[in-house]
Amino acid sequence: MARTLLCEIVTPERIVYTNEVEMVIAPTLDGEIGILPLHAPLVTVLRAGELRVRYNDNKDVEWFAISGGYLQVHEDKVIVLADAAEHSSRVDVERARTAKEFAEQRMAEMKDKPLAEREGIDECEADLKWCEIQLQVAERRS
Amino acid sequence: MPNLRDIKQRIVSVQSTSQITRTMEMVATAKIKKAQERIESARPYAFAMMEVLQNVARYVQGASHPLLEEHPERQRIVVVTITSDRGLCGAFNSNILRITEELVRDEAAEGVSADIIAVGKKAIGYLRYRGIEPVAAYRDISDKPTFADARSIAASIIGRYGAGEIDAAYIVFNRFKNVAEQKAETYQLLPVERRVMESDGDENSLRAEYLFEPTAAEVLEHLLPTYVETLVYRALMESAASEHGARRTAMKSASDNASEMITTLTRSYNRARQAAITTEIAEIVGGAAALEEA
Repeated sequence: MARTLLCEIVTPERIVYTNEVEMVIAPTLDGEIGILPLHAPLVTVLRAGELRVRYNDNKDVEWFAISGGYLQVHEDKVIVLADAAEHSSRVDVERARTAKEFAEQRMAEMKDKPLAEREGIDECEADLKWCEIQLQVAERRS
Repeated sequence: MPNLRDIKQRIVSVQSTSQITRTMEMVATAKIKKAQERIESARPYAFAMMEVLQNVARYVQGASHPLLEEHPERQRIVVVTITSDRGLCGAFNSNILRITEELVRDEAAEGVSADIIAVGKKAIGYLRYRGIEPVAAYRDISDKPTFADARSIAASIIGRYGAGEIDAAYIVFNRFKNVAEQKAETYQLLPVERRVMESDGDENSLRAEYLFEPTAAEVLEHLLPTYVETLVYRALMESAASEHGARRTAMKSASDNASEMITTLTRSYNRARQAAITTEIAEIVGGAAALEEA
């Protein structure tokens, strides 16, 4: 049995996932980072993207959609603080698709406006990104 | 002598009111439980967030960040006022609105103008009635606040603080002490108080040498706004739980008053009925006696 680390994914609303895993691969601002047991203490900022954990001698993989957040490693414990997180099997594809269309529409509307009137464009862009990642992760379902 | 039928009618009306208050009491009891669970499930995130924040703060000694900087002059502040969307919850909303008004008045006395962000229909209605237009208003979120709601509230104050438009931000909300007790409180959101970043005890777990990606300062820059968001989220959730608690207490005393009233009314109903019977008998006896004499 390989050495493991405890991975916890928490959002402000609930604990999404906790399990003993062998590797955590998370999307940081500067690219993906892979964390193995005995990793040095680390704090990093995550961007919106896909996070995956491997366990059972690296045979099993689980995928999560993460909307950005933080990751802390300390003594074989990885805490992922995500603004929002969803397991690949729990993504509501229908809803994500509708939300994506809605966000795209709003983005298109805002493009025509002068810069000063583009209030909430960042939020809208983040929404759009979040929907895309959810859909992308949903594809990973085995 | 009160009319028998009038008393009967009052009893019926009090009874139907007490049925409503009793139901509301039970509904509120069930909702407190759910709201409490929501507060509980937010705890792991809040704890981990504090831990990360304190870790980062140790590495960025004398950290400077726009959200930490106190502005030298106070000219304009923002007050986030959290009330409920519905009434019938005792002094829940009036306490909040009173504190908000006091705060605004005190600041005004020092020449500081205050913008109000109103959460809940009660605050919106009250402020409009007073001729104060809130800079932002949120309704229908007080029952089940989401993190996205908190984020949208926090985003506007963070943006304005960073731009130097406002010099402080406060949040006024009901803190949930237990099911029977709420306390209206004011909390400073911005600038972020430095003491929250100081680690409390347990130095051993904090001794570890941390790596930061990209750098400690940059992590802090991302972390502080999120910290403010979680503060707002927490206040929203505490207020939701408090609202149900306050409603339960108010409805319980209403139900108790109603049953007391029914007891009193029933008593006077019986007395009135007895009096009517006595009068009737007296009349019959009197009538019979009059006939005999004749």
